Amino acid sequence: MAERSINDQLDDAVTELIAQRDPDLANADPMVAMLAEVAQELCLLPSESFKAQLSEQLMRRNEMTSPVQKLENLNVKSVSIRMCFSDASAAIDFYREAFGAKELMRLVEPGGKIGHAEIQIGDAIISLSDEYPDYGSLSPQSIGGSPVKLHLDVEDVDAFAQRAVAAGATITRPIQDQFYGDRLGQLTDPFGYTWMVSTHIKDVPLDELQKGVDAFAEEEAKKAEQSKKKGRREGFHSVTPYLTVQKAAELVDFVKTAFDAVESFRTTGSAGGMHCEVKIGDSMVMIGGGTGIPEWPTAIHLYVPDVDATYARAVAAGATSLLEPSDQPYGERSAAVQDPTGNRWYIATTFVPLQQIAKDLHTVTVYFHPVGAAKMIEFLTNAFDAEELMRSDSDDGFIYHAKVRIGDSVIEMGEPHLDSKPMPTAIYLYVEDVDATYEQALRAGASSVVPPADQPYGDRNAWVKDPFDNIWYIAAAIEN
Amino acid sequence: MFRRKDLNEPPTPVGGISTFCAKPFFSVTFFRVRSFIIKKPARGTRLSRVNESEERLLVEAAQKDPGRFAELYEQNFHCVYAYIARRVRNRTETQDLTAHVFQQALANLEKFKWRGAPFSSWLYRIAANAIADHARKRSREVAEQPNIASQSVAETDFEAVERRARIFREVKQLPEDQRKVIILRFAEEQSIREIADQLGRSEGAIKQLQFRGLETLRARLSGKQIAAE
Repeated sequence: MAERSINDQLDDAVTELIAQRDPDLANADPMVAMLAEVAQELCLLPSESFKAQLSEQLMRRNEMTSPVQKLENLNVKSVSIRMCFSDASAAIDFYREAFGAKELMRLVEPGGKIGHAEIQIGDAIISLSDEYPDYGSLSPQSIGGSPVKLHLDVEDVDAFAQRAVAAGATITRPIQDQFYGDRLGQLTDPFGYTWMVSTHIKDVPLDELQKGVDAFAEEEAKKAEQSKKKGRREGFHSVTPYLTVQKAAELVDFVKTAFDAVESFRTTGSAGGMHCEVKIGDSMVMIGGGTGIPEWPTAIHLYVPDVDATYARAVAAGATSLLEPSDQPYGERSAAVQDPTGNRWYIATTFVPLQQIAKDLHTVTVYFHPVGAAKMIEFLTNAFDAEELMRSDSDDGFIYHAKVRIGDSVIEMGEPHLDSKPMPTAIYLYVEDVDATYEQALRAGASSVVPPADQPYGDRNAWVKDPFDNIWYIAAAIEN
Repeated sequence: MFRRKDLNEPPTPVGGISTFCAKPFFSVTFFRVRSFIIKKPARGTRLSRVNESEERLLVEAAQKDPGRFAELYEQNFHCVYAYIARRVRNRTETQDLTAHVFQQALANLEKFKWRGAPFSSWLYRIAANAIADHARKRSREVAEQPNIASQSVAETDFEAVERRARIFREVKQLPEDQRKVIILRFAEEQSIREIADQLGRSEGAIKQLQFRGLETLRARLSGKQIAAE
């Protein structure tokens, strides 16, 4: 020890000090001990880059706040949030449950109507009320949504969203790391308001932000180009179920009442029946048929914010219960009903964010019950370039549950067992090239019903029937 | 302003914030052995270089035009950082809390009223609160020592804070070779080997420069000059 040079002795001490440990100076040279004292104070010496970055950050904040300071001359003291609800009392309950809101006060009319209430979420106080149309107070449900978004900055966006979803919110934009340094997603509450939720991960310098914006714009342009190429009508995924039943109008009413379906289009179909298009969540569903037209009822896996509530509404709207809501071991709470026109609806709410269960799983997913599901997967692969995502089967090849992806959509299937039986289904399938896919489907074993032709409603399509009696409308929008 | 008791107690640089420190007792023992002369300045006593009227003008200018806050930041950065570093003893947390203090100060600048106490004492108060909040949060997370005592501003040994801030500032005035080594070693926390590689010199030479750098700093702090390089 003694023969170590004072330079080495001092460095030993410095190494310990930097690691926040106690140096052994018992045998050290007195000069080393003195300098170690200086070194001890030098630990955590601020780096110049930190000092400069903080300065830059403070000045940037300044620039952002200065316009506000100019406005102060107009005597604006504050801006606050006022929200209107079709059921303000239910909204307060929901925000308490979902966002940890605290009710501060409520003023109630003798009839029970909330004229004014205040809740606190984080550091914001929000005023809210029931609807007062005469005073211009209408809820998003009355006016078809709200263009104003609210933004919640939370400590753990994933946990927060999970709790909100459990309380009845829907994830309308998946939670992802964003180029601007936030992990962010979007929730829509049961009352029609949209909430951005985010957790700040890191600060991003201004020039990198601009690069991020440029990259984003490029990506969007690419997407637009691609969807143009795909020739898909706006709002449609690759796979759209075509529920064909004799009492089509009744079915449309049912999905509106039970599933909040929004009708976007109704006309007379080519076979003389009705053709109607509705949107359920993020998915389009075609409904059609009429007296004398063959029926193609369908099984649908439907994701909703609150399975119990939807189940109750479906039953109240005339559906027959197949399975009461119950928790499933695979991360869902699910129920099943059969609607009055014969379609089966497997209704589910996930405990985990949707995108973790399967990428591209939409609100509406078609569910097949084919006999010989393995063969069907083979057919879909050959005919439509389907990609198998998962398969749960027995030793002798009986498939309980399988998922394949076609285009941007997932379809699911399970061989008939217990009370399920084959349900030949009609699917409207958007592809890039109708003629090529039509040929490919025939080679894979489908039979032609109607060869490719341009339709007056703007699509080119062809109809084929697969070996399992499902009808596929192979389609692409005609480019202008 | 401060209680009699404070005068009789040795400075406790780690205070009660032992949860922050990998080595909670080191400072106590170290400083006691070396026993500084303990003179506690009254709260708000000025030790930095700007005089009062100058500082007052700076603050008032920044209150009118936040762009001028940069000068207050430059003036006070090392003191605030040193104040926090003494008690938090972790680089990331020190940086986060320092940033927080200046952000708060900037956001609330118009609320600052000149009452004779230096601007830094206001910053120290913000820092003390931030450290206390941070400690509470930490103790909840770590679920230990529910009562983490935090020093109030009044209990702070300002002389030690100012001394450390002065060491930080003095680093910039070191001869270039010494300065580079001291910065890489203490701010970037590089090893002697890494510094030797980076500067293209032998490890022995780096150790020598480290020694000389610390020696120069010590001499400057005690007011003596030694022949530099």
